[in-house]
Amino acid sequence: MLHSAGAMDTAVEPADLIAAAVGGDLVAFEHLYRQFSPRVYGLCLRLTGQREAAEDCTQESFVAAWRALAGFERRSRFSTWLHRIAVHTVLARRRGLRVEYEVAEPASGLPEVAAGGDEPPLDLERAIAGLPDGARHVLVLVGIYGFSHAEAALALGVAEGTCKAQLHRARGLLAAALGLEKS
Amino acid sequence: MKDPLQKSLDEQLANLSRDIPLPRNLWPGIRGRLDRNPRRGRPMAFAAAAGVVGACVASALTWAVLHGRAASPAIQVAAQAPSFDEPRNPSYVAARDELEVNFRERLALLDPATRARIEASLAVIRRAHEDIRKALTSDPASPVLEQLWQSTWRDELDLYERVVRATQPTMTRT
Repeated sequence: MLHSAGAMDTAVEPADLIAAAVGGDLVAFEHLYRQFSPRVYGLCLRLTGQREAAEDCTQESFVAAWRALAGFERRSRFSTWLHRIAVHTVLARRRGLRVEYEVAEPASGLPEVAAGGDEPPLDLERAIAGLPDGARHVLVLVGIYGFSHAEAALALGVAEGTCKAQLHRARGLLAAALGLEKS
Repeated sequence: MKDPLQKSLDEQLANLSRDIPLPRNLWPGIRGRLDRNPRRGRPMAFAAAAGVVGACVASALTWAVLHGRAASPAIQVAAQAPSFDEPRNPSYVAARDELEVNFRERLALLDPATRARIEASLAVIRRAHEDIRKALTSDPASPVLEQLWQSTWRDELDLYERVVRATQPTMTRT
């Protein structure tokens, strides 16, 4: 089973900043942007595979979040709520720009610097970027960002069974691309 | 047992950083759009909701006075508040929670069949509220969803008010 990034994502969220932003404090919202934008951008970049599109989606996500803050009921973590908005933003944009995405080089927007550790994950990132859309979206949400299958299915507008099947498919394709297949 | 190769893949995925540094600062662009598009106000809908809450608070206070009970701090705060701007307003939430307690107390006085029907109605309202809230999270700019979401708030408060009001004569006779 893939790790659950969401379950592991137990960092304390800045409740005061969130409350202030809900109350309309733009400075507090800017602090939230500073704190959460790298993760939102990472999510958008891996979902779109394009740096420019990911930047646009990140910007759109924070604008949408600001407008929707009054509806944030704190039943989920702020980061979870924000990530759902980001996924929706990416999918909505993608529906309008499908051709552009298809002709773009999949790995064009991937990070150039490894996040840390001895082994640069670039091959893995490229392999993820090369996955078919459906498989990549599920793998990114469930495998990297810790969405549950139910959450990913809801965000992507697919059945939970489809989500599980796409993850299985993604893992198989990734294993093949990385030479991890059984000989 | 998990396939070692698959485990290796999972470990590689787990080791990926979820954060990726932004190549440029997007805040100026975001900030500019927030200026041009401030959060939409909800004066009409929440004025209606505030009216319902006000009626409920009045009912609850009447009930408390008739029964020699001091109004709870939550109700006092709500009664003193000039308005309830949004459901996220702490005073609003506290007052609503207190009203729900009063509603539950009144509900317990009704016959089981009536109680069951009211509980079922409340469950429907809350399910609708939650479904709309989820949809709104995915589509925060939808005015239709927002209107529906506000409507479910009003429906819930209206149900509380009607139960409190309907049980008032019974309460005063005892």
